[in-house]
Amino acid sequence: MPEDYETVESDVLVIGAGGAGLRAAIAVNDSGQKVIVVSKSLLGKAHTVMAEGGMAASLGNVDPQDNWTVHYGDIIEEGVYISSWKMAEILAKEAPSRVLELESYGALFDRTPDGRIMQRAFGAHTYRRLAHLGDRTGLEIIKTLEHQVIHRDITFYDEMYITNLIKEGNRIVGAVGIKMNTGKIFLFKAKAFVIATGGSGRVFKITSNSWESTGDGIGMAYRAGVKLRDMEMIQFHPTGMVYPPGVRGLLVTEGVRGEGGILLNTKGERFMLRYSPEKKELDARDVVARANYREILEGRGTEHGGVYLDITHKGSDFIKHKLPAMYQQFMEFAGVDITKEKMEVAPTVHYMMGGIEVEAETERTNVENLFAAGEVASGLHGANRLGGNSLSDILVFGKIAGENAAIIAKNSDMGKINAEKIKNEIKYINSFFREDGKNPYDVIDKLTTCMSENVGIVRDAEHLKKALEIISELKKEAGEVGTKGMIKYNHGLLGCLELSNMLISCEAITNCALMREESRGAHTRSDFPKKDKEWIRNIITELGEDGNMKFGVKPVDEMPGEYKNYVKPEVYS
Amino acid sequence: MAEKEIELKIMRQDPETDKGPRYENYKVPYVDGMVVLDAVRYVQEHTDPTLAIRWNCKAAKCGSCSAEINGMPKLMCKTRVDTIGDKITVSPMAAFPLIKDLVTDVSKNWEITRKIPMFTPKENMEKPWRINPKDVEKSKEFKKCIECGLCMDVCHVVREHYTPYFGPMHIVKAASWDMHPLDGVDRSKYLNKEGGLGYCNITKCCTEVCPEHIHITDNAIIPEKERAVDLQYDPIAMLIKGIRKKEKVMK
Amino acid sequence: MAFSTKEENDSKFQKITRFPRELGELRFWSFVLVTVLAIYLMYVFALTEPVQGLTDPFYSPTILVLPLVAGFRATCYAYRKDYHRHLFSHPIGCSVENFNKEGEVNFPGEKVGRPYSGETGIFRLENLHRYFWYAAVAILPFFYYDLYLAMAYRGEFTLGVLLLILNTLWVTLYTFSCHFFRHLAGGNVDCYSCPVNKKSYRRTIFNRISKLNGHHEMFAWISLASFFLVDLYIRGVAAGLPINILLFRL
Repeated sequence: MPEDYETVESDVLVIGAGGAGLRAAIAVNDSGQKVIVVSKSLLGKAHTVMAEGGMAASLGNVDPQDNWTVHYGDIIEEGVYISSWKMAEILAKEAPSRVLELESYGALFDRTPDGRIMQRAFGAHTYRRLAHLGDRTGLEIIKTLEHQVIHRDITFYDEMYITNLIKEGNRIVGAVGIKMNTGKIFLFKAKAFVIATGGSGRVFKITSNSWESTGDGIGMAYRAGVKLRDMEMIQFHPTGMVYPPGVRGLLVTEGVRGEGGILLNTKGERFMLRYSPEKKELDARDVVARANYREILEGRGTEHGGVYLDITHKGSDFIKHKLPAMYQQFMEFAGVDITKEKMEVAPTVHYMMGGIEVEAETERTNVENLFAAGEVASGLHGANRLGGNSLSDILVFGKIAGENAAIIAKNSDMGKINAEKIKNEIKYINSFFREDGKNPYDVIDKLTTCMSENVGIVRDAEHLKKALEIISELKKEAGEVGTKGMIKYNHGLLGCLELSNMLISCEAITNCALMREESRGAHTRSDFPKKDKEWIRNIITELGEDGNMKFGVKPVDEMPGEYKNYVKPEVYS
Repeated sequence: MAEKEIELKIMRQDPETDKGPRYENYKVPYVDGMVVLDAVRYVQEHTDPTLAIRWNCKAAKCGSCSAEINGMPKLMCKTRVDTIGDKITVSPMAAFPLIKDLVTDVSKNWEITRKIPMFTPKENMEKPWRINPKDVEKSKEFKKCIECGLCMDVCHVVREHYTPYFGPMHIVKAASWDMHPLDGVDRSKYLNKEGGLGYCNITKCCTEVCPEHIHITDNAIIPEKERAVDLQYDPIAMLIKGIRKKEKVMK
Repeated sequence: MAFSTKEENDSKFQKITRFPRELGELRFWSFVLVTVLAIYLMYVFALTEPVQGLTDPFYSPTILVLPLVAGFRATCYAYRKDYHRHLFSHPIGCSVENFNKEGEVNFPGEKVGRPYSGETGIFRLENLHRYFWYAAVAILPFFYYDLYLAMAYRGEFTLGVLLLILNTLWVTLYTFSCHFFRHLAGGNVDCYSCPVNKKSYRRTIFNRISKLNGHHEMFAWISLASFFLVDLYIRGVAAGLPINILLFRL
C-alpha cells in the first residue's frame, strides 16, 4: 500500500468541477492567480449536466415587467422566509449578467422572435424567466465552462477523490486526495480553498442525483469544523421514475402534468381531487409529492411502489410532439410507450437546500481560507428552491467564491503542514484494505434504505428516532468495512470513504429534521403539520469539541425595511 | 418470478500488473428491465469491489459509462439487458488506452479540444447579441453531444490506424463553434491540415452509434470537408473569396 | 500529432492476433466488377442512336460524357462510403467485432496497422466532386430533351417513355440532393439572418435540400439501378422484343 505522496501547489484549490467549481476556477484565473481544479468524476461529467429546465435570470426579454426585485420576492417566498436575504439579493441582481457572460463564452440559448434570449415559465416564478437551450441547459453550461477551463490552460486533476482537508489552527492549508486512475496519493497545498462538491442526494435510495453526490464536501468540511445550516431541507420532486430498478428516481419532467397528465392510484382513483380539489396535479411540488407519497404509503400504490401518471388520453401525436424527450426516455429505459400505457412514478430526492453556511457577500465559511459555493453551500434557497435557481446559484456564487478566494490567496502565504497529519491520512486510507472487511455497499444500501423509509418526504418523531438508531448502528458497522486489491480505481475503497461522509450528512439531516418541530417548505412533519412563527430560524450543525455533532438555532437575518416591500408578508393559519 | 441469471463476461486487466487481458465470467440475477450497467455494478458491489467501471448520472446524460457491449460501442446505462440476450460480453473502449478493466484514459480528448480554436465572436457586434431563433438550430444539434466517446471508439481511423485525425467527436465540437451564428472563425482549413479531416472516409459508423442521434457525418464532417475544399482545393472558390476580401479592404 | 502513437499504444495493450476479417466475408467488390464490366461492354456494343425515339441514358447526350457521370458518382459521398467500406474494407462494418470465427470472444485494442490514407493522397481527387457536379447539372437538360424526343417521336406515351421519365426523375433527385449542392445553396452560411430581422430564402432552400439530402444514398443507388435497367430495356427494344407497350396516345 502506498506510503508516499506527491505534492502539488497552487494559489487556490477548487474542489469539484461542476458549474460552481468551474466558474470559481475561471474567476481565480481571471484574477491572475494559479488555480487547480480537482473533481471526483471526469471533467465535464458533473451533476450539472442533469439540469434541464433552464437558468433563472430576470432579463425581462419575454416579460418586460420582470426585474430583480420580483425575482428576489419569489426566492424569499418560495424559501418560506428562512433564506438569506442578502444571498437572494445578490442572485437576483447578478443572474442576468452571468447569462450574458455565458453567451459571450459561446453558450447558445434559444431565442425570442426578435433575437433575444428566450425565457420560459416555471413553477412559482412570477414571470417567464428561465433562459434555456431546449431541455439541455445544464449540459450546455457545463460544456461551455469546460472549454473555457481547457482553453485557459487551467490545471485540472479529474478522477481525484479528496479524502480530507488539512487544517492548521483555524485555517485550511491543504487537501489530500487519491488520483483514482493512477492510484497515487496527492497533497494539494494552496492558500485558499473552494468547496464546490454538490449535494448529498445519494444518501437516499430513490434519488435523481448522480453517483457522485454523496456529500463528500459536506463531510470534509464538517470534519474541519465548518458550520452546516438547515440540513433538514431536502427537496423532493413529485414524479421520478420507479420502474425498472435501473432508472429508479430518474426525473419525469413537470411538463407531463403541465400538458394534462393525471395521477391515479391502483384503484383508478384520481387522488389529487382529494388532496387539492382546485389546482389538482398542478399544485406546488411539495403538495403533489406528499400526496403521491401518502397514496403509496397507504397501500394504493403499484407493486413497484409508485402511483400512475397517465397522459394516454391526450393521444399519440400530441404526446410525441409536446413531450418527445419523455416519450424517448420511457421507451428506451422502461420499454413503456407513454402514448398507450400509464407511467409509474414516485417522489424522488432532487436537491439539498441545506449545506455549508457561508457569508453571503464572499462565500467564506467560518474556517479561514475556506470558501463554498453551489449546492454544497446553503442560505439562498431556504426551505424550498425555485426551479432554475440552481443554475443561477452555481454561476453567481461560484464566481464570487472564486474572486474572494483569489483575494485571500493574494494576501496570505502558503501555510505550513505538519507531515504527521498527511501520514495519518494515508494510514486512514490504507486502513480500509483488509481481508475481513465488511462490504461497504451493504452498509450503504442499509443506510440509503433507512433514509428513504424514515427521513423521507413526510417525517415524524418516531421514524426520525428510529433512523437515528439505525444510523448509530451503521456508524459502528462503518468501522468494520474494508476492501481488497489495489488502490487504483478501487470502487470498494471509494465506497468505504464515501460511507463516512454519507453518515455525516444522514446524521445531520435526521437530527435537524427532528429538531424542526413544524412543517415548512420541503420539510413536513406529520406530528407538527403547521408552520410555526417561532421557527423563522436556521438550524446550525457543527462538530462539537467532544467529537459529537452539535446543534444550534439562530434567527434568520432580518432584511432591511425597503426589501420587505418586495415580499408578500408571511401568513400563518 | 423465476430465478433467471445473466451470464456476464467482463474484460479484466490492470496494464500495470497483468500481462494480458482476460475475460472473467460472472453470474448476475436478472431483474426486470435492468440495464447492462446494473449488471456490472452488481458484480462490483457483490462479487468483486476491485472491478473498475466509470459511471455517473445513470441517465444517459453525462456520457461516462461507454463500453463495448457484445462488440458494439454503447452506453452501459442505456443498453437494456432484454434487448441483447442473457449472454453479455463487456469490454472497454479500444480506441483509448486502458487504465483498468472497463475504464480507459480519455485525457487525449482534452489535448485535442485545447488545440481547436474555440468560440470567437465576430468583431464589433452590438450588445446584447441578437440571433434569429431559426439560426440557432444548426449549432444546437451539436450541442447535444455528451462527449461519451462512442463515435471515437467506433471510428476505424482512430481505432485501427495511426493518423493525425482528431476523431468525430472533435469535428462535432469544432462544427458547433463553426456553425454558431455569431462565430467569426473558420476552423475547416485547420481541421483539414492539422486535424486530419482527410482521413475520415465518411463511412458513417459514428452516426450509427451516437446515443444522442447527432448526424455526425452529414451535418458536421461533410460540411467541414466542403468548407475545407472551398479554402484549399477549389481554385474558383478561392478566387471568389480573394476578390471579396479585396473588396472589403477597398471599402 | 497523431491521436495515439504506436509506441504508446503497444505499451498499454497486449497484442492479440485477431481472425483476419477479410476472409469469409461476402465481398461486394464483385458488384463493382460487374459495373466496370458493364461499362466496358457499353463501349464495345454502343447503342448511340435512339431506338423508337428512346435514348439510352448512358448515351445522353453522348457516350463521351460518360467519364463525367462516372466521375460524379465516384466522388459522391454516398459511393465513397460504399467503396471505402466494401472495396477496401476501411472498415467492413460498424461492429467492433470482438468475436472470432468460432464465436469466441477476442480482446479489443489491437491496431490492425495496415496501410491507410483515407481521403488523403490520391484520394484527395475526391475533393473535385463539385466540378463533376457542375458537369452533371450541365448534362441534366439533355435527359429532359430526350424525354421530349421520346414523346414527340410518335406522339405516344409508351412504357419506355414512362421508364425514361422515372429515370430522369431519379437522376434529378440524385443530383440535387448532393452534399455539395447543399453546401453551395446554404450550407456555407452560419447566420442566415444577420442582422436579425433579415428575411432569408437561403435558409429555406438549405432546409429543403437537407431533407432531400437525408435520402441521398437511396437516390444514388436507385438512380444507378435505373440507369442499367433502362439500358437493358432499350437494348431489348432494339433487339425487337415487343416491350415498348403503348399506354396512351398524346
